[in-house]
Amino acid sequence: MSSDTDAAIGGETPERERTGNAVVNWMEGLSEAAYAYLLLIPSFLLLAFIAFYPLLMTFVMSLQEDRTRGGETLGGFVGVENYVDVLTGDVRLAQQFMDVSLSGAFPFVEFGVPLLQQALFVTLGFAVISVFFETVFGFGQALILDQEFRGRRWVRVAIILPWAVPIVIQGMIFFLLFQPEVGFGTDLMQWLGLFGPNPLADSQDAFVIVLVADIWKSTAFMALLILAGLQSVDRSLYDVAKVAGASPWKRFKLITLPLILPALLVAMLFRTMDAMRVYGLIESSVGCTTVPSLTCMVVEAMFGGTRIFGTAAAVAFLTALVIGLFISVYIVLFRDTEAGFY
Amino acid sequence: MVPDRCERTTSLGVSRRSFVAAASAVGAGGIAGCLGRGAEEGAVVAYGDTDFQDIMDPEGELHQALWDAGLDEDITVSVRTGPDETEQRRSAAQSALQAERSQPDLFMMDSGWTIPFILREQTVNLEDRLSNETLGLIENEYLEAAVETARHPETGELHALPLFPDFGTMQYREDLAEDAGYDTEDWGTEPMSWQEFSEVAADVRADSGVDFGFTTQAAAYEGLACCTFNEVISTWGGAYFGGLDELFEAGGREVTVDEEPVLDAIRMMRTFVRGQDDEHALEGYEQIAPTAIVQYTEEDARGPFAGGNVVMHRNWPYSIAIAHDDGMGDQVGMMPMPYGVEEDEAAYDGLGGTAAALGGWHLTLNPASENQEEATQVLEAFATEEVMLTVFEVQGWIPPIVELLEDVDPEEIGPVAEYAETIEIAGENAVPRPVTDIWPEQSAHIYQEVNAAYRGVKSPEEAMADLADRLEASEADVGEQDVQ
Repeated sequence: MSSDTDAAIGGETPERERTGNAVVNWMEGLSEAAYAYLLLIPSFLLLAFIAFYPLLMTFVMSLQEDRTRGGETLGGFVGVENYVDVLTGDVRLAQQFMDVSLSGAFPFVEFGVPLLQQALFVTLGFAVISVFFETVFGFGQALILDQEFRGRRWVRVAIILPWAVPIVIQGMIFFLLFQPEVGFGTDLMQWLGLFGPNPLADSQDAFVIVLVADIWKSTAFMALLILAGLQSVDRSLYDVAKVAGASPWKRFKLITLPLILPALLVAMLFRTMDAMRVYGLIESSVGCTTVPSLTCMVVEAMFGGTRIFGTAAAVAFLTALVIGLFISVYIVLFRDTEAGFY
Repeated sequence: MVPDRCERTTSLGVSRRSFVAAASAVGAGGIAGCLGRGAEEGAVVAYGDTDFQDIMDPEGELHQALWDAGLDEDITVSVRTGPDETEQRRSAAQSALQAERSQPDLFMMDSGWTIPFILREQTVNLEDRLSNETLGLIENEYLEAAVETARHPETGELHALPLFPDFGTMQYREDLAEDAGYDTEDWGTEPMSWQEFSEVAADVRADSGVDFGFTTQAAAYEGLACCTFNEVISTWGGAYFGGLDELFEAGGREVTVDEEPVLDAIRMMRTFVRGQDDEHALEGYEQIAPTAIVQYTEEDARGPFAGGNVVMHRNWPYSIAIAHDDGMGDQVGMMPMPYGVEEDEAAYDGLGGTAAALGGWHLTLNPASENQEEATQVLEAFATEEVMLTVFEVQGWIPPIVELLEDVDPEEIGPVAEYAETIEIAGENAVPRPVTDIWPEQSAHIYQEVNAAYRGVKSPEEAMADLADRLEASEADVGEQDVQ
């Protein structure tokens, strides 16, 4: 458009533009940053509408009493009672959010139900262990893929393939592997002495199955992101290091690691968020009854059939809170690094 | 580098005003497109499973039967399907009703979770909708256990129309049993004891060389709490909340899961799985079931039976219908559920002896529906004998007036009718689950603890003591709510 071009070149809005509507004129005169915020307003409004408003309503609901019968879905205001129930192992659900009490003797805590029947610990454990292994294995794969060798393209495809498998299919694969009469998984693991006879019904075995399933799949994601970081490293730095006599370990520690740390941290952040929300993989493989995650609890409370919306809201709000807190660890810890998330 | 804003405008080639205009047009168009969907007209919409959708084909036999039974010829029923799993269908129904959507007009609801919907005022009282004739038929002829799960537990008013009942049945390989020298002639009508059952299963297994004596469902899921375990404790004379008159009103019921009959039932099942090596084994009972049953739901248990590897198989009648379709019909028999104690030895009235878990589905009316009159007509038409028999013929769903099976010809109307006598016995001894507004919550506690006890993770006593605590707490919770 010629008028715009004129305006751009001149750096000033010509007279004929000013005759237009006042808002548009005001917009034209904004600074670059102000204009950017103006454009972001719809997104912020939408975000407020679809994220913060529901979160607020969830919190309001969580302060009300459960009503399992009658036309009213919620009872009167009960303060933090639902939260107290959820956090003290007194929730009206088959699995507990957490059920820990202090005791006089070592180790000073007592578990009301086994640790792996408590959603908080299942989820935290799952997130920490799976992200750790995915990072280590993903790093290894990325280092291999970064080399030049024959058939590299095919190895790449092979490594990335699990990432292309839909979650439900992935869950079904592991479900069938450990379904007696169908898969060989149970027999194999029992022969190795690692699993009991019914791994899908045993919380401990089932937790391991979910972990392995997730690591198998998501390592590819880590490998991809880390590889992207690796390939952006300036190769001449290695040549200099070699001339200077740096060992492979030193080259890794002093060149590779610091340079890909930003990419690595972003990848880990993404994976951690995903892992904290795990649901589909569990539901389609071993089931939420055996391995309850936080999201499992929310779904169970909301759609379990007994109308306990107050409790469901409390569980949901706590889940959001836990994920938020856990994720902010990254943001706080790495605030001052180059990879800081601003 | 600080970019010059004017330069940037040039490089993008799009002015601010045209960008904002285009973006708002796209946004507005998108939103309008999403909200613009209307509801279809001219049909009663029902929410059900794929089987229901199949038989409600507009060209099919059932529509004709409904019209013949008095439904206006310009009314058709179209079925929207949900997930096949009952619990997922329950949450879908709950979402629709919670949101007070006007469609679907009719809901197909599991007899195991209709009462919570009634108590939450998400159904319509049918007493002032259906004709007196129909109400009389339901009151006098319908299977009583099924109708009880369709009534408001406090007022006794009818809120749902039983579409078909379903019963847990014991299916067995008649050919293998006879080869092993058993006379199976009265097996279809005379229940045997669980002890005899386990001996027969073990014996026939040894004689025929098949892999397993018995498969059933014992995974940690609703089916264990409502049905397979409920069935077994009933045959032992035990119950979750005392006798059969304590089923449908929660709040302060006496919890009886830690009583001896319930413990015996668990000990028996553990013996079936783990044999006499188990420290809690019942003496005289055989090891007959694979340990994998603690992971089995219906189809997992049916697999090995359909593959010819099992002597005895507990399942719903659908499984026997499939066996007939697969050409195994002549080899499969059906017997009433074996018993743990005789009826007169049972601690509670109506328990002990043979028992069959009650399943099956009802139809309910959506209170927010805009087609209530048409939908009521559909319900009226389903409550006629001709329609019930047509439903049985096209889908194998047992008529809610079970006696109708006596007079039908199996050749003509479907193989399940061959087992009419056994199914009637099941109907007479049907035990509904104790369904209340908090049953889903209690059921989850039950299946979890029972499954742990079956797996040997907890002793029967420990598991049932833990369960009793949870159930008492949940009865107390709902009791408190009543006071306010």
